[in-house]
Amino acid sequence: MRSFKFFGPLMLSAALLLTGCGAQDQGAAGKSESTASQKEDVKKVTMIYNFKTGSMDPHNGAVPLRAGVVETLVRLENLELKPWLATKWESKDELTWVFTIREGVTFHDGKSLDAAAVKASFERALAVNPKNVGALKIASMEANGQELTIVTSEPHPALPSDLVNPQAAIVQAEAEAAMGSEKFNAAPVGTGPFKVKQFTPDIEVVVERYDGYWDGQPKLNEVTFKFNEDASVRALALQSREADIVYQVPAETIDVIQKDNELRVESLAGLRVHFLLYNQQKPWIQDVRVRKAIDLLLNRESIANDIMLGNATPANGPFNSALPFGSKESVTSLDIEGAKKLLEEAGFEAGADGKLGKDGQPLKLELLTYQGRPELPLMAQLLQSDAAKVGITIDIKTVENIDTYLRENKDWDMATYSVLSAPRGDGGFFLNSAFLPGGSLNAADVNIASLNSLVEKLNGTVELQVRLQLTQEAVGIIKEEVPHSYAVYPNIIVGINERIVDWSPGAEEYYMVTHKMDVK
Amino acid sequence: MLHLIKARLVQLVFVLFLLSILTFTLMKLAPGDPVLLLLGADELVVTQDNEAALRKELGFDLPILVQYGQWMLNLLQLDLGTSYIKGKPVLDELMARLPTTMELTVGGLIVMIMISLPLGFLAAKYPGRWPDHVSRLLALIGASIPSFWMGLLLIYAFAFKLQWLPSMGKGSWNHMVLPSLTLGLAMAAVYARLLRAGLLDSLSQEYIRAARARGIAEWRVMLKHAFRAALMPVVSVFGMSIGSLLAGTVVVETLFSLPGLGSMGVQAIFQRDYPVIQGYVLFTGVCVVLINLLVDLSYGWLDPRIRQGKGDVS
Repeated sequence: MRSFKFFGPLMLSAALLLTGCGAQDQGAAGKSESTASQKEDVKKVTMIYNFKTGSMDPHNGAVPLRAGVVETLVRLENLELKPWLATKWESKDELTWVFTIREGVTFHDGKSLDAAAVKASFERALAVNPKNVGALKIASMEANGQELTIVTSEPHPALPSDLVNPQAAIVQAEAEAAMGSEKFNAAPVGTGPFKVKQFTPDIEVVVERYDGYWDGQPKLNEVTFKFNEDASVRALALQSREADIVYQVPAETIDVIQKDNELRVESLAGLRVHFLLYNQQKPWIQDVRVRKAIDLLLNRESIANDIMLGNATPANGPFNSALPFGSKESVTSLDIEGAKKLLEEAGFEAGADGKLGKDGQPLKLELLTYQGRPELPLMAQLLQSDAAKVGITIDIKTVENIDTYLRENKDWDMATYSVLSAPRGDGGFFLNSAFLPGGSLNAADVNIASLNSLVEKLNGTVELQVRLQLTQEAVGIIKEEVPHSYAVYPNIIVGINERIVDWSPGAEEYYMVTHKMDVK
Repeated sequence: MLHLIKARLVQLVFVLFLLSILTFTLMKLAPGDPVLLLLGADELVVTQDNEAALRKELGFDLPILVQYGQWMLNLLQLDLGTSYIKGKPVLDELMARLPTTMELTVGGLIVMIMISLPLGFLAAKYPGRWPDHVSRLLALIGASIPSFWMGLLLIYAFAFKLQWLPSMGKGSWNHMVLPSLTLGLAMAAVYARLLRAGLLDSLSQEYIRAARARGIAEWRVMLKHAFRAALMPVVSVFGMSIGSLLAGTVVVETLFSLPGLGSMGVQAIFQRDYPVIQGYVLFTGVCVVLINLLVDLSYGWLDPRIRQGKGDVS
């Protein structure tokens, strides 16, 4: 009894503390975190993105553009280059470009946008991010009213496409001098439909409507753009109405979300491609018939539907087919008989054990993969299984850092890989990096003379239509020579509350908070 | 006591020196560096020559010993270096992340104490009876459930189903409830059992019997005599696990979108941001050594025999 006198109050107080917490939590949470759907009178939206940022410096990250705070001179619309803060541009000679800056645009501090402001913004971009120096190749600039003349350090026909890059966004650089860099990097002054209200590094940025927006008043009052890197938590936040738009919900939760009448899921092919790299230094891989045979053994439909649960689109080339220069041909299907035939033509014969070989050597290939993208090792296993059906032995090797391994080792035959092949709506980046000798993504030492000369020609071509045509021709050579086998374009999967109207996700993943988006 | 503090501070210098050599060597032996990330090779046209030039510029082509020497020279001037990726001083990064980690640690400790104390006391008071079985079961559950799963369950229950608490973010105290519970529940499981064992051990001692024989109230016997002695092993284990508590909470930080030291360290490792990794390891090392010093000092308070230099500690 005496002990009960002691432990009774102890337990009671613990229970009271716990329940007290719960009761208080309910009240506090109810006040501060009640769902957006309960506040329809206030036009607020919460969006969750799957990567975090510790800075809102527009020239060192994409979130300011994604959150509608800043804009670029050129944008992607339906994956095509379109004017934005620049109304038009032209190339005077191979080094000189003239951009006409849109009139009637103001920054969040009320100052007008003109060529001098754009020049100051680019000067800041080059100063704070060395990557911009290499990307934009700006040697000098001259501002005259609304006309900005840019002279590049070398011919740079892809400059308009590189100006789509969020890190080339236009900011009011003078404001930084007044505010100080620290404040500016938390709340940059741009021309976007929303201005920063509050930024909490790595957690969220809250943006509020900018009434002076040049393209019409934004429909929403406020958008909270949160960051969370855990897919399950993001999906739960959508289901609990804590968020209205959630990027990259896990494929396994799609059915549950779809069953909720107030929610929907949109899944569209992005600009990334998963593919196989062939090491051109290995004798058997040098035979195009072997590469073509393996290409026929890559079951793209199964990768998209079984491995990626329908959230990928089978690939028919290096670039998403929705792009103007993407291949319009049908996707190569699994063709075991076709692969056998090609390998027979290449001189391989089946041994007593059914395994292919030539000159007494078995056809045994090493396939590298890595865990960074969980679907890639599964893709490797599927290929291994289908290749075994024709008598090819594939040994899978999982490495920790694929980029370093590919560079430092030359004994591999194939590797699974993934890259954003057209991040700014232009194929030049991928063609230069992955196919020209010495390119940073060309660890496989691809060196195809006809492709090299085509890419060089592309690098000297300014006119957009001609660039598209040359890129298409390059895609044709790639399909013929098979230096890579393209598997799938992974989808961008976005969970959306039905109260959101006039908004849909874009394949480029740039323009997330827009002035047109609204709530019912 | 002063002698102990002096000895520990000297020890701290050696520990940090060895820790820095070990981390630096392992870091450099691991494949990869931050060059591709710095050049933006995943979306900008970069050549292998550009990569080599940047590697040279950053001094990655120098012998490891030279690189270590340069880093140590800066450290002696209290300069932890600058993050390759973020371009900010490492010390600023650490200080920016520390408050979140401290909030998380304190929250987790409060939950741990609130749960493990009653469970430990009940289990020790009624060994072999239902409170002990319940305590054992709860401890087993707490220790068996991985924290990412526990966190998801808590989010499912309190953020999704009941909608009482936010599932992520920071700003008010209610944001810290679920992360603290996730962290505290797992710790409570271990400490409740430790406390039970410690209490049972001290309750069987002669001095407890003597105290009871003198008619001292049971609560006084438990709290003043048995509990104090039972805290010795608990405090020792706490001292050893403080490193993981301060910097190993990456799962909780990721789930609840809290920018603490743990996620900073893991991100730096993935990005091969060497100065940040070194700073993070050193900082954690300092914390662990200093907290263990406090733990050692607390033994004197917990057991007067140690303070007076008498008796056997064990």
